[in-house]
Amino acid sequence: MTGVGMFDVLLAVVLPVLAWWVVAGPDLFRSVVLFIVFGLLLALVWVRLRAPDVALAEAAIGAGLTGALLLDTLGRLRAEGWGTGDDQRGSDAGASGGEHPSV
Amino acid sequence: MTVTEWCSLALTTAGAFFFFAGTVGVLRFPDVYTRLHALTKADGLGLGLIVLGLIVRTQGWTEVCQLALIWILVMVSSATACHLVARAALGTGVRLWRRPG
Amino acid sequence: MHEWYGGLASFLLLNVVVGLLRVLRGPTPADRMLAAQLFGTTGVATLLLLAPTFGPALNDIALVFALLAAVTVIAFVRRSWFPVNWEGKGSHDGD
Repeated sequence: MTGVGMFDVLLAVVLPVLAWWVVAGPDLFRSVVLFIVFGLLLALVWVRLRAPDVALAEAAIGAGLTGALLLDTLGRLRAEGWGTGDDQRGSDAGASGGEHPSV
Repeated sequence: MTVTEWCSLALTTAGAFFFFAGTVGVLRFPDVYTRLHALTKADGLGLGLIVLGLIVRTQGWTEVCQLALIWILVMVSSATACHLVARAALGTGVRLWRRPG
Repeated sequence: MHEWYGGLASFLLLNVVVGLLRVLRGPTPADRMLAAQLFGTTGVATLLLLAPTFGPALNDIALVFALLAAVTVIAFVRRSWFPVNWEGKGSHDGD
């Protein structure tokens, strides 16, 4: 089981780090994308725990639906001027920092 | 190891290599458009090779159809997503990369 | 044989982990989003490679993964990145 064993180790190492980045990152959009990736990897964890039905629900609801809803919410927030929307227009500068709406 | 197993092994390994190429492209290429190019093409081919490698070792027709359906769905969705992202990037004014000098 | 598939699945997962660098670095939102799409495709391949070991139910999860990538990218393009109606602007006048 060495091949799948390395799979488990990778998941176990990456997932907590990813969760920390989701919560503590400075950029809201980056956090949303990382949340989607987190859902994908969590579905793989459920597969490894031999719970494919939970993995199905996690992939569909946890990553897909919630991710799409969060992206929609973020767009709505930016449109109403909560986020700093103007620094996202393709410049390399200003891709991080100071993005939190003060709610 | 039978011949079909060798075929499956070679095809899946080649597919994994194309995924590796796609990841390297996404990390190393200079702008959004070139990264989209690397991602959609390399990954489509890599997934196709992996699906092919798994099809040669299946027995039933249902699994063959299911695997082929997954590949077709991924191809259609990734091509659509590629065009959408590229068009939105152009619309928002992301600059095209030019070779410096 | 299954051992080899597991090793390849680990290799693909390693690709995902390295590709996280693109999500972290950006610079534009499109870069982060297309990295997420890359992870969706890689996740499909990983699940398909694990399916001989863990049963055919993983093919269904792979199907859901493929759907998920499409839904999130479309939500991103239509709703999140450029909230005003960019189709009505006529020409793409970026250089």
